Amino acid sequence: MSGLYVHVPFCLTRCGYCDFNAYTGLDHLRSRYVRALLREAELAGAAWPEPVETVFVGGGTPTTLAAEDLAALLVALRERYRVPPGAEVTVEANPDTVDVGKLVVLRESGATRLSMGAQSFDPTVLASLERVHGPDAVRRAMAAAREAGFEDVNLDLIYGAEGETLASWQRTLREAIALGPEHVSAYALTVEPGTPLGRAVALGLRRPPDPDLQADMFALACELLGEAGYRHYEVSNWARPGRECRHNLGYWRRRPYLGLGAGAHSFRGERRWWNVRPPEEYLRRVEAGELPIGGEERLGPEQAHLEEVLLRLRILEGVPASWAEPRAVEPLLDAGLLREQGASLVPTERGMLLLNELVLALAG
Amino acid sequence: MYQGRYAPERPAGAAAPYDGLAVTETSRIRNFCIIAHIDHGKSTLADRLLELTHAVSEREMREQYLDKMDLERERGITIKAQAVRLTHELGGQTYELNLIDTPGHVDFTYEVSRSLAACEGAVLLVDAAQGIEAQTLANFHLARDAGLTIVPVVNKIDLPAADVEGTRRDLAELVGCDPSEVLAVSGKTGAGVPELLEAVIRRVPPPQGRREDPLRALIFDSTFDPYRGVIAYVRVKDGVLRSHARLHAMAVDLDWEAEEVGVFAPEATPVQELGPGEVGYLVTSLKDVHLVRVGDTTPVQGRGRAREPLPGYREPKPMVWSGLFPAEGGDYTALRDALEKLKLNDAALVFEPETSSALGFGFRCGFLGLLHMDIVKERLEREFGLELIATAPNVEFHVIRGDRTIVVHNPSEMPPPGTYDRVEEPVVLATIITPAEYLGAVLELCQARRGEMMDMKYLSTTRVEVHYLLPLAEIIFDFFDQLKSRTRGYASLDYEPWGYEPADLVRVDILLHGEPVDAFSSVVHREKAYRYGRTMVERLRELIPRQLFDGAIQAAIGSRIIARETVKAKRKDVLAKCYGGDVTRKRKLLEQQKRGKERLRRVGRVDVPQEAFIAALRVDEGERR
Ligand SMILES: Nc1nc2c(ncn2[C@@H]2O[C@H](COP(=O)(O)OP(=O)(O)OP(=O)(O)O)[C@@H](O)[C@H]2O)c(=O)[nH]1
Ligand code: SF4
Ligand SMILES: [Mg+2]
Repeated sequence: MSGLYVHVPFCLTRCGYCDFNAYTGLDHLRSRYVRALLREAELAGAAWPEPVETVFVGGGTPTTLAAEDLAALLVALRERYRVPPGAEVTVEANPDTVDVGKLVVLRESGATRLSMGAQSFDPTVLASLERVHGPDAVRRAMAAAREAGFEDVNLDLIYGAEGETLASWQRTLREAIALGPEHVSAYALTVEPGTPLGRAVALGLRRPPDPDLQADMFALACELLGEAGYRHYEVSNWARPGRECRHNLGYWRRRPYLGLGAGAHSFRGERRWWNVRPPEEYLRRVEAGELPIGGEERLGPEQAHLEEVLLRLRILEGVPASWAEPRAVEPLLDAGLLREQGASLVPTERGMLLLNELVLALAG
Repeated sequence: MYQGRYAPERPAGAAAPYDGLAVTETSRIRNFCIIAHIDHGKSTLADRLLELTHAVSEREMREQYLDKMDLERERGITIKAQAVRLTHELGGQTYELNLIDTPGHVDFTYEVSRSLAACEGAVLLVDAAQGIEAQTLANFHLARDAGLTIVPVVNKIDLPAADVEGTRRDLAELVGCDPSEVLAVSGKTGAGVPELLEAVIRRVPPPQGRREDPLRALIFDSTFDPYRGVIAYVRVKDGVLRSHARLHAMAVDLDWEAEEVGVFAPEATPVQELGPGEVGYLVTSLKDVHLVRVGDTTPVQGRGRAREPLPGYREPKPMVWSGLFPAEGGDYTALRDALEKLKLNDAALVFEPETSSALGFGFRCGFLGLLHMDIVKERLEREFGLELIATAPNVEFHVIRGDRTIVVHNPSEMPPPGTYDRVEEPVVLATIITPAEYLGAVLELCQARRGEMMDMKYLSTTRVEVHYLLPLAEIIFDFFDQLKSRTRGYASLDYEPWGYEPADLVRVDILLHGEPVDAFSSVVHREKAYRYGRTMVERLRELIPRQLFDGAIQAAIGSRIIARETVKAKRKDVLAKCYGGDVTRKRKLLEQQKRGKERLRRVGRVDVPQEAFIAALRVDEGERR
């Protein structure tokens, strides 16, 4: 069993906090890029033995591609990798790049799941995040998704932007729940170096998020989403039972995945590799008939162990108690950051917020 | 500083080197030093003397030529006394002049006193725009007590603000001579410098000492050369010091051989011998820094031993103590070796091993003052590549229990209250010279620092000299800055040890989560304990990162808590996202965090970063000097 990730690096505008491999102003490369993806699928596919059970088209903003291009891509990939019926095929979308027509095309070419970047329902927060869409666009896009027949929809939310209060976050959560998605991802806004937000914070022009307020916001998300019947299954992810994202679970369970597209990462066994990041370079390499690999690493046992602990703790599966030193564990149990679940140690809600500390304590 | 056996070849047209082969008659030798208050222009005047005697060519000349250490040049002050040999012709005779430029800062007064032991005369400089200041008096008294001939000189006469006649009068009165005997020079323009040189030759007596007598020479300084071993700076009193002579160090009772004898002219230049009265260097070939002690004399073996060591000079006495710890625990041995090497160049530095529960293995070091401490620390870091944490400096306390006196160099060794009869602290006799208009402000400051006035006298209608007994602990930190700011920079300060006096001192401990941190303990006057405690807990609250639990930071006297702050438990430390493309980066971030944790020092349950120790223990910039 394996996953297939496809990266589309185009966006309408650049959000100030974003450090993804995403670009504006490269629209002229779009169709060339789709052709390159298909070519890479051929090149890489030869060496990919595992059957693919989940596909995730992410970005960037995949829905900036023309509907026909996206459809052709999905169809070709499913064929090339013999994706079985019943597979999970997710496409990421921005609320203002979708309409019913486009979504119907996606649905018909095999997409089963839509992941939408809503981020917030508070216009001031959206402005602070430099998102171009308004809250209404999310509502419209949600309706369109339902109309097009998507039964699996995720909403992405971000909390902790400058100007966002606990009350505003509460309204955002309630609005999101009211739209009835199957899945909600809620991320604490992180200031990444090298982003416009990162520079503004470094220069003192903008305030970094207050970690205590973000902790309160996290607790509120746990409470409201829990009450609404969503199960907290990863630090930043909630889903109705059975609607967890299988593709992402694959990452967290360290199953193999193949990444296609500029900057996409792949993993199998002890090896992790990644494609070159700049789209032009990616195109050049693929068009020359080469695999566009930019780098790789082989994990030593210690690194693999650290990853394993990190990921198991993130998805609340916990680690076997026998992995950790009792001396390191006891204070964490006492402090209510870990709890015992059978023979495993699982982070509590408070522990999830201090996961880095838990990982370091448990991975030795 | 020693430059190696062969001085570099001189370019054509450069000054002629000193002819090391000639033997100078004792009657044509003059040994003198330049003494003054800090910044009154000693090193600059030495530059002019080097030029006038062609010791340094125009091309090689640079300002404060004798301030050779990087630290001296950066700070613009002299730290180490420098000896240099000059030759000068006067009235058809060639004279050998051994000049020692001395430091002016109060921390280095002992350097002045041991330089004096190598001289018969002293040029006492006074800045014409500043007049007589506290170290002018202190250094004058030292030189007079050592029996030296004083040549009084008004300097910086080129300055627009110079009061040449007033300064001349004051100086004549101080020295007890006629104003016409006071010279006036400018070390900057060179005006009056030839006359000064002539006055030195005419007024300073030649050294006494007989060639036939057994060798007696005073080691007045030393340095360490990694290739040649210990280099001693010597002044021959009697007899002749030749290279390859068998020598004996009395203080440590050890025989050794003089590998090379030479003079600084101004670079190290080998000579065959140093006769009576001559000043130069001695390459000892000894590798052990303990064997050559400044203040030792070096009589020849055989030919009858010299009777007794010279009454060298006062052993420098450390005034402040601080623990030095390597930031990397593994550097302990490197720190010990570095301290031993520095000690050779710096007789005033003392150290003993110290173990701190918070900082690990290090050394409790004694220094002459904060400037000295600062310089030692900087040299250890720069010249030996060490990264150091220094604990807050403290003075030496005497704890009296019955008829026993316990000497405490380290606040954490101070016994708990109630287990002793009393504590005594060092007291100094401070001399302050101030314009009369600021007298009120000066007295107020001294009073606030628990001072006791001894006497006061008007040097003129506008200048007052005050003597105060003050606890050393009250003046080593910010007293000088306070004094300067209350007198618009016009007052000057000098002090000398006086003795020990009982005082109401208490030890303030700093506790993290209930555990005392020995490195933060301090002994302070009871009235100042609260303020010290408050400052420390507030600083630490800013410096200690949030932990998994609320952390109490407390200041306590014995079991009584006098200040408290809390570091709130951290609530969020998690990476928001971790998908396929993020795993590598996120893992690396965690690995980095893990390495960061390894640099933490654990005190009880609290992790304290290295940087917090350094910052919390830093003496505020304003408190320096
Ligand atoms: N105008 C003027 N400035 C001078 C004269 N002599 C020295 N200075 C300046 O005074 C300052 C101190 O001079 P130094 O020669 O370093 O004084 P010092 O007495 O050796 O100082 P320490 O060794 O630190 O005690 C420097 O800025 C010199 O340039 C002078 O005759 N005239
Ligand atoms: S839309 Fe998404 S990928 Fe594009 S810039 Fe914004 S956050 Fe980044
Ligand atoms: Mg000087």
